[in-house]
Amino acid sequence: MSGTRASVRISLSSLRTHKRRFMGTVSAVLLGVAFLAGTLVMGDTLRASFDDLFDTASSGTDTVVRSSDAITTSDDAVGTRQPVDTGLLEAIEKTPGVAAAAPSIEGNGQLLDADGKGLGGEGPPTVAGNWIADEELNAYELAEGRAPRASGEVVVNRGVADQGDLKIGDTTTLRTPDPVQVKIVGLATFAGEDGLAQVTFTGMTRADAEKYLMPEPGLAATLVVRGEPGTSQEQLTQAVAAQLPGGVEAITGEAAGEEAMENNTEQFLGLFTTLLLVFSGIALFVATFSIHNTFAIVVAQRTRENALLRALGASRRQVLGSTMIEAGVVGLLASAAGLAGGIGIAAGLQALFPAVGFPFPEGTLVISALSMLLPLAVGVVVCLGSALLPAVRAGRTAPLAALRENTVESSGASRSRALTGTVLGAGGVGLAVLGALGGGAVLLTALGALLVLIAFVVLGPVASSSAIRALGAPARRMRGISGALAQRNALRSPKRTAATATALMIGVAVVSLFTVFASSLKATMDDTVSRNFAGDVAVSTPGFGDGGSGFSPRMEPEVRQLPEVDSALGLGNGVARIDGKGAALTVTDPGRLQSVMHLGEVSGSFQNFGTDGLAVSEQKAEDEGWKVGSKAELAFADGEKQTFTVRALYETSELTGDYVVTREAWEPHRTQESTRLMVVSFKDGVETGSGQAAVERVAQGFGNPDVQTRDEYIETSASTIDMMLTLVYALLALAVFIALLGIANTLTLAVHERTRELGLLRSVGQTRAQLRSMVRWESVMIAAFGTVGGLVLGGFLSWALVTAADGQSSTPFSFAVPPVQLTVVALVGVVAGLLAGWRPARRAARLDVLRAIATE
Amino acid sequence: MTTDLSTGIAARVIDAVKVYGTGDTEVRALDGVSVDFHVGRFTAIMGPSGSGKSTLMHCAAGLDTLTSGEAHIGGTELSALSDKRLTLLRRERVGFVFQAFNLLPTLTVAENITLPQDLSGTRADPAWTDTLIDVVGLRDRLHHRPSELSGGQQQRVAVARAFAGRPEVVFADEPTGNLDSQSGEEVLGLLGRAVHQMDRTVVMVTHDPVAAAHADEVIFLADGRLVDRMEGPTAERVLDRLKAFDHGRTRQEEVPT
Repeated sequence: MSGTRASVRISLSSLRTHKRRFMGTVSAVLLGVAFLAGTLVMGDTLRASFDDLFDTASSGTDTVVRSSDAITTSDDAVGTRQPVDTGLLEAIEKTPGVAAAAPSIEGNGQLLDADGKGLGGEGPPTVAGNWIADEELNAYELAEGRAPRASGEVVVNRGVADQGDLKIGDTTTLRTPDPVQVKIVGLATFAGEDGLAQVTFTGMTRADAEKYLMPEPGLAATLVVRGEPGTSQEQLTQAVAAQLPGGVEAITGEAAGEEAMENNTEQFLGLFTTLLLVFSGIALFVATFSIHNTFAIVVAQRTRENALLRALGASRRQVLGSTMIEAGVVGLLASAAGLAGGIGIAAGLQALFPAVGFPFPEGTLVISALSMLLPLAVGVVVCLGSALLPAVRAGRTAPLAALRENTVESSGASRSRALTGTVLGAGGVGLAVLGALGGGAVLLTALGALLVLIAFVVLGPVASSSAIRALGAPARRMRGISGALAQRNALRSPKRTAATATALMIGVAVVSLFTVFASSLKATMDDTVSRNFAGDVAVSTPGFGDGGSGFSPRMEPEVRQLPEVDSALGLGNGVARIDGKGAALTVTDPGRLQSVMHLGEVSGSFQNFGTDGLAVSEQKAEDEGWKVGSKAELAFADGEKQTFTVRALYETSELTGDYVVTREAWEPHRTQESTRLMVVSFKDGVETGSGQAAVERVAQGFGNPDVQTRDEYIETSASTIDMMLTLVYALLALAVFIALLGIANTLTLAVHERTRELGLLRSVGQTRAQLRSMVRWESVMIAAFGTVGGLVLGGFLSWALVTAADGQSSTPFSFAVPPVQLTVVALVGVVAGLLAGWRPARRAARLDVLRAIATE
Repeated sequence: MTTDLSTGIAARVIDAVKVYGTGDTEVRALDGVSVDFHVGRFTAIMGPSGSGKSTLMHCAAGLDTLTSGEAHIGGTELSALSDKRLTLLRRERVGFVFQAFNLLPTLTVAENITLPQDLSGTRADPAWTDTLIDVVGLRDRLHHRPSELSGGQQQRVAVARAFAGRPEVVFADEPTGNLDSQSGEEVLGLLGRAVHQMDRTVVMVTHDPVAAAHADEVIFLADGRLVDRMEGPTAERVLDRLKAFDHGRTRQEEVPT
């Protein structure tokens, strides 16, 4: 249609003429799309690389034999399997088609460096096992040195050796968790890499592995089988399966590799990519506001042009169409550039990861159609969606507007807006508060939070006038006339000021939400430990995820012997299936539990549990309908089922979990024995410092677990949160940066619009410095408005969510506002505003006075 | 009309040359103009389009710089001044009235009037400001925004602003160009009264003989040169003089002062 052609021609020529105006929009879309595409490409690449890695590593294994039952809990998706009897090997080796078979013993073993610090354990597991002689069956291959032959000799993966500065011939300690003196005789690689990502591996002799990692000799985690050439994995697996007793299964090496991949990396990768996607979503959401604003301003500035077009006979649709085509072209170009940027980001990270000690498997970038088309579509849709309202407004331009004086778009603070916003806001706050206080309906709160967010956006223009008036007061005082002029400029178009600030507001709101949430989480931990912990020091091996080995249960009796110590009690882990669901058990001496831990209200007795006594948290007992004296059936990984009697109920369960059994009850079902936490309380009159030193001396003989005072223990527990928060901040920086681009862009457009005013000001004596200061202060005021709004919004939302979470979970969740961090967020917001105004201010100051006053 | 030429000189240019562009595109907007603007005088600069009258005003006022020659405000030579010094000079010693867009839309009438003093952080003399407000007759409009005023009222505010800092000289660039004749008359009357009753100095660029008739003296520019001067002008005489430019441009030789 010729009508459309006209629209296209108009929009293209307008784009060419006003390239600069769209720089901000292009940057916002570009950054968002680049982040999104980068995430997808990196996720695909990592996945493919790991896939490759596991394929290579497990290519020699055709069949894996293991116990068929795995007990999984909410914290452990891999699950616990009973070891298999190595006696089965004899029958397997005789099976036709089998070339070789070996036991694969695997357990937890953390190496210590020369200073006695644990290596690895920050997420990925710390694995110890037997060094399998058959090269094909061993996932690791020897890179240097030799295989372990004598007891105490080990091969370690090269990554952990580098990390701990360990060399062949060095002697160190391996926590299994009993400390074992080991001598490194070889270094291993995993499919050619220094390791399987950050997983640490220690290979020992079979006898050592059986001794330290298995409850008794003759057991192995799995049996690995290699077939003769010409035998398919399926054939071999079927043949082997026929030899196995009940409760033991055989799966193909391929399936095992996939499972290992799934367990080891898929979850991590899934989490990682989801996190990145969420943050690119936030960035693009923020970008939407900046883009919308740009188009709104451009359309307003072009009122006369559009009116002329209308007067000359362009239809509404043509004017609307030309704006939309502009948006589409901008979106397409920016997104295309963003894709290139995204691939660049992925390539950069691939190069960067190894440099920071994360062995990123080598491999070409995997660029799938999806990871290109999705960001492209999102970029274009974001652009079109943001431009829709301004385009409609452009279409509505009255032909007569061409004749009127070109006035700046003004006021958006209509009564209906104020009313809508207030109703939405009140409804949202109501829902959020109801959800938060009314017993923790997180969904209700989330819905309320969403409404509050919308209300903030709607109310922005209404609030911006009074906010800028209030925020401008200090600027007027500090900067006199420049401050006052800046304030008037910011007040000119409340709608524009609000829209500009909204992008930053959302960014800051998310930042403060996470900040408050993290500080609440820390406060919760603090409270938890304070409420639960009756001892003076805690002994543990820090680590999270699957990391950390725990330490030897044999340390507890020695600590109890110390003259300083009043009581010491270790907590270990067990697992069983209760009522069909996997559950973590705390294994300890229940009789002494109350001497080192506050358990709140307690009913029944913790004495004489024997091998069938069970203590249950009140919350769990209520869920299951148990009382003291009730019977509960526990099914263990070894297939044994045993009926336990509920002997005691306790109120606070943060450190003990929901179930407590005795060591004696757990002993027959355990694989590796380990203590995760030991609480020690000192005798009256013993100073914490000297007591701590005494316990530390004992700890040295047990692989050096950390001995920490209560405060230190809390700090360590919370350090994970700080680490996560840092990551979140880094990711949110993008959203905040895009918001700042938006402010800079709005100001640039405003400067352009006010050319004549600026010329006038300069001619009647405004110095360049004053002019710059004026533009910068406008920027600061907009930023301050957005920041304050964001802090209020983020603060309220985090309160509502934390309170709702508190109501919903069985354990109390504290709400804590971190004043220092929030002040920093506020300052950063304002300083960022100053930076955002820098370039527009410089550009404005460079204006030629004569040309400015001669415009039109 | 008495004029005292022995009084000081508010502004002057000596051998002012302003060249735009180079080579083929070179335009000599001012080609060796020398003129003094005396204190307490109302001078009009006239000439056909492209004669250099606006350029002369811009250079004399420190809005633009000369290619060669000198421009003085009071005893200060402008070519030696930095942008900052020029700005401060404009703020403190010069007043401006432009053809249109004289006022900041975000400021009220009162704030627009004291803008130069506010920019320098000094307090405007309240008695003087008060007098000016009465003279321009806008007392009841002080807290209005420019968009609420008529074009004539806006120009009167601009006049008040131009004189608010008691500048050594006020430059007016076609101050009545956008006004109807009655409003224009009011503005010109104000400029005249400021000069004759308040002993101010005004230099006005105009192409309107009626406006020029309000001045004490008219200087005529053509092709970047000063070609004539006229004491005690009337609209008819100015019109006749201008017609002489159009008819064959015969008298292009320089007229001795």
